[in-house]
Amino acid sequence: MVTSKVTLGAARGAGGLPGRRTLAGPLTSAGVVVGVGVVVMALFAQAYVGSVFVLALTYAIVTAGMAVQIGFSQQVAFSQSVFMGLGAYGVAVLNTRLGMPSLLAALLVTLGSGVVALLLGAIVSRASGLALAVATITFPFIAVGFVSSASYLGGNIGMPLTGSLWPSASSTATAVGNGFITVAVAGIAVFVATRVLSSDIGLELYVLGVDEGMAMANGVSTAKRRLELFVLGSMFAALGGAVYAGTQLFVPATLVDATTELSLLMMLFVGGRRSVLGAVFGAFTIQYVSGQSNFVSVNILIVEGVLITVVLLVEPEGLAGIGMSLVRWVRRSVPALAARSAASATGAAAGGAVGGAATGAAPARAGNAAPALERSAAPGLQGADGDGPAAMTDGSWDAGQAAPDFRAAWQGRQAPQGAQAPQGAQAPPGGAGPAASMLLECAGIGKDYGALRVLDDVSLTLPDRGIFGLCGPNGAGKSTLLNIIGGSVAPSDGTVLYGGADMARLPPQERFRRGVSRTFQAVHLIAGRTVLDNVAVACLDSHRSSLATGIVRNRLNEARDKAMTALEYLGMRGVSGTDVSSLTLEGQRMVELARAIASKPRLLLLDEPASGLSETQRERLKQMLRAVGELTSVLLVEHDLGLVAATAEKIFVLASGRLVFAGGPEGFRNSEVVNSLLVGL
Amino acid sequence: MKFGNLLIAGLITGSIYAAFAVCIAVWYRVSNILNLAVGDFAMIGALGVDNLMRVKHWPLGAAVAATVGTVAATAYVYDRVVLRLAQDGRRRQEGIVITFFFTFALSFFIDGVAKVLFGTDVHAAPPLWSGNSLTFASGLHVARAGILVLAFAAIVGALFTLYIRYTLSGKAIEACGENYLGARIVGIDNRKYRRIIFVVTAILAAVFGILESPITGYTFSSGATISFTGFIAAAYGGFQKPGRAAVAGVAIGVLEALLGGYVSGQHADTLLYAILAALVLIRPSAMGLETAVGG
Amino acid sequence: MPGEDMALRVSGMSVAYGNVVAVHDATFAVRRGECIAITGPNGNGKSSIVMGIAGIVPRRGKVEVFGAQAPPSDVMWMARRGLTLVPERRQLYPHLSAADNIVLGCYSWTRSMRKAKNSAAFDSALQLFPDLRPHLSQHAGTLSGGQQQMVAIARGLASNPEILAVDEPCLGLAETISKRVYEALARVHQEGKTLIIVEEAPKRALQICTRQVEVRNGIAT
Repeated sequence: MVTSKVTLGAARGAGGLPGRRTLAGPLTSAGVVVGVGVVVMALFAQAYVGSVFVLALTYAIVTAGMAVQIGFSQQVAFSQSVFMGLGAYGVAVLNTRLGMPSLLAALLVTLGSGVVALLLGAIVSRASGLALAVATITFPFIAVGFVSSASYLGGNIGMPLTGSLWPSASSTATAVGNGFITVAVAGIAVFVATRVLSSDIGLELYVLGVDEGMAMANGVSTAKRRLELFVLGSMFAALGGAVYAGTQLFVPATLVDATTELSLLMMLFVGGRRSVLGAVFGAFTIQYVSGQSNFVSVNILIVEGVLITVVLLVEPEGLAGIGMSLVRWVRRSVPALAARSAASATGAAAGGAVGGAATGAAPARAGNAAPALERSAAPGLQGADGDGPAAMTDGSWDAGQAAPDFRAAWQGRQAPQGAQAPQGAQAPPGGAGPAASMLLECAGIGKDYGALRVLDDVSLTLPDRGIFGLCGPNGAGKSTLLNIIGGSVAPSDGTVLYGGADMARLPPQERFRRGVSRTFQAVHLIAGRTVLDNVAVACLDSHRSSLATGIVRNRLNEARDKAMTALEYLGMRGVSGTDVSSLTLEGQRMVELARAIASKPRLLLLDEPASGLSETQRERLKQMLRAVGELTSVLLVEHDLGLVAATAEKIFVLASGRLVFAGGPEGFRNSEVVNSLLVGL
Repeated sequence: MKFGNLLIAGLITGSIYAAFAVCIAVWYRVSNILNLAVGDFAMIGALGVDNLMRVKHWPLGAAVAATVGTVAATAYVYDRVVLRLAQDGRRRQEGIVITFFFTFALSFFIDGVAKVLFGTDVHAAPPLWSGNSLTFASGLHVARAGILVLAFAAIVGALFTLYIRYTLSGKAIEACGENYLGARIVGIDNRKYRRIIFVVTAILAAVFGILESPITGYTFSSGATISFTGFIAAAYGGFQKPGRAAVAGVAIGVLEALLGGYVSGQHADTLLYAILAALVLIRPSAMGLETAVGG
Repeated sequence: MPGEDMALRVSGMSVAYGNVVAVHDATFAVRRGECIAITGPNGNGKSSIVMGIAGIVPRRGKVEVFGAQAPPSDVMWMARRGLTLVPERRQLYPHLSAADNIVLGCYSWTRSMRKAKNSAAFDSALQLFPDLRPHLSQHAGTLSGGQQQMVAIARGLASNPEILAVDEPCLGLAETISKRVYEALARVHQEGKTLIIVEEAPKRALQICTRQVEVRNGIAT
């Protein structure tokens, strides 16, 4: 097994998909496409090979966009063939009716499709997941109906046009010109797509696709991103359609129908859904296969059916996945390269959601690919206290000393609006202060689930520093209260004031940006990614930027640097390059904690962080909590009463949805109510 | 009585959609895979019986038995070979790929084989209950095949609901789809149930195809449309409740028939799909659709 | 000892995930009616041992249940032989009701819903956690973490096992409930069942367990 000798540099990866070795970065990918394209065009522009190449490249433009939208970000929409038709018919109409040169028409149509996609997407992208798929699966059928009845579009047959992308009297020049233009456009498309995926926005998109709830809780504007993805995929498809029209000089009515859509999807999945270059390979593979022999083209359905099944059985990430496995194998086999490679888990790199999917708490269906339970961690991670290889933190870690810059920055962030800023470490015991200056005020919170009153008239206030416990028997409503404060659940009654402002309408991502950060009972990490990248999700600065800025600017490494300082603060620098799916449950919990503090929150909501931790780890957690409690306000839901009593300055106890105790640890230990409820004396 | 006849026709096609929707929903429940080849199994049923009887002159019973048997065998082999490799090995596949694409590929494959075997013309299995449409007072006509379809759908639906709700193995089937590991822990053999339900739904699809084809006629590519409509209807049921999927299927059939009767030909279809899309988009969460595509 | 009925005998069992070896060469035996605790720090192989025994993860080596050799990865075989595992992350069925979750525990010994619902095993599973009564028809996915743990244990008991293996029975449970769970497990033990409890903190388990198998770095002692 490759050991995890990780340095920050290695963790950055070579570009391409964040944090992981990929086929190639943006320039390389585009370079490959353009390079091969130029060579082929120079030699074969006029021959059959050249025309097949151009056609394949046309589809590749569409699949590149699909790789971003469908493959990477998992927004399965069946709308590409429709937009491809929009692009193709648009160019045809502009060219034949208005005499516009096809190249100009292509540009206009692509821009126009963006507008259409924006309008349509505003409605469509409200749905995600299966709803999106179901809604858009009707699109090809609607489009076919529309096109067949529109005689000016050529009805059932199609529409011819005369203007090539490269208008010229000589057919040689036309073929060559068209070819080079197509290559250029494809190169740009590949470049743009790969740039987006390898940027910080790319990480946002990835998380969006894998675990939308967790993405929202970490600040991703999921609705906005979904819309942007729809527009991007549609524009790429329209561009491909425009190029199609300008090179094939005929737009068949079948371009918009379900068969085309399915073929495009096949190209994407055979090639490699998460990889732009893979999508391009896929387009070429299918085109190549279709043109192979008479037998094949007549029986294309059978051949495609078998081909896709076989490829997906071998490697669900398609040909790109096979390619990457080969690259990894080569790297491992060549000793000189093996020493330099960063660790990642052998085995499944499927990239699903990791963690407690056993219960309904997680959105993904239960039954993970491999049980991420007990594993001996890589050698070199020995804890100093003999806790075995499971110790996540460096032996020499000291909460008071680690990462002073991070601590200072966090402390500096606590510029409260209207909340008291106590000098020195401790807030006054009992957490007092005039009500107006409290960080968090929950007043009269109630929650009904149908007839079940889960929370009833719960009020509590928290100042901006300190540790506060929230305890209670099972089913008392603790997680519900956290969900209400975090924003994923709306209260039936009552108000939540944060920094003096009513949070009622704020979605989780907005609350995150204002400094509310949380962990969950079940672990929500991204498998197949390093610890560093998982923590970096909370350090992204790109939430307010549009997708387009991902093309221009890539601040992923800045996010990773911030994540690294957060890991240093917790003494977890050594595991930053480990794949999270190879960690034990306690290791994953620690990563969740790291992610929660990485954004230097003003209010930290922790849902049973000690669950599953060993004695030594709990001690460590206590130290961490105490350190963190000096920098922010922590609301700690916990069953480990010892832990709570040892760290919290004030403890709230919920039972059957009501607050039955609010006081300091001494009162807590002595209270009869509490003892009967929780300790069972 | 135009409306009434349209309604009846709609109910009949609707019950077909409902049947396929239930086939998709139930198997999804068990396996977390969408059987997008279900319409293609129906098509094989219809065209197979037609071919054996019309071209090879087999008697009806033998033709039906042979066709349904072939469909069942195909489904069995597919599960044993492809699904086993995809899901039962060390690396279990989950997510979009397995949910959609394997059965997509299967449907392509079946269509291709059908095209080779049966050509591209439209055919239909002979009606099992021959004779003219039954006529009722006030001018309502019901095709006899339609009655068979409705009856079969109702019986199968009822049997199935009872099975799921009241038997332990019915619950076990549900458990398979809920939690693969959790089902194994109590001794449920997920793979066996996945295989059984796949074969059973394939057989049902083939039978429905045989029963229904005299009304509409099938060609090698008809399967896709049926699969899609079944998928949409199943989606409206949220994949959790086959009952809702059935209702959705019937509603779609009725809507389609009414639109076909009152709106001119081409546009009827377009309008139908536009309405279906709009319904999902108005309140996507109301559909109860889960993110089945994570991973 | 000769003549004693060995409920479970594990010889040279190892569990590996890819290249990572979680359990090396575990060898131990459990007599019928015994209650043992498998302890050790987290991440050292405790869960892997029981998962390997139950057949959920692939293992190498020999496992015998009441003298019969177990095929390597056959959960169904184990369940029918009378060894039930309550796994670490519950693995419930979120959209089925709590009652349905529990009654499915009976699947390993019957296919009849009637027999299952009327059985003593099902009844005692329900009796164990009266807190669950008002929630029996609620979808298991909407229950709180602790309630789900209770359902998982009840499901384990509904299968009427001879050997009950529980992985971290009190994960996420408050003190009162944890005590109740251990009381229930103690009762189960008194009825003559064999218990294997995986616990990170041996203190609680050792109140009812007579023996301890410590697992460190994948090695059982």
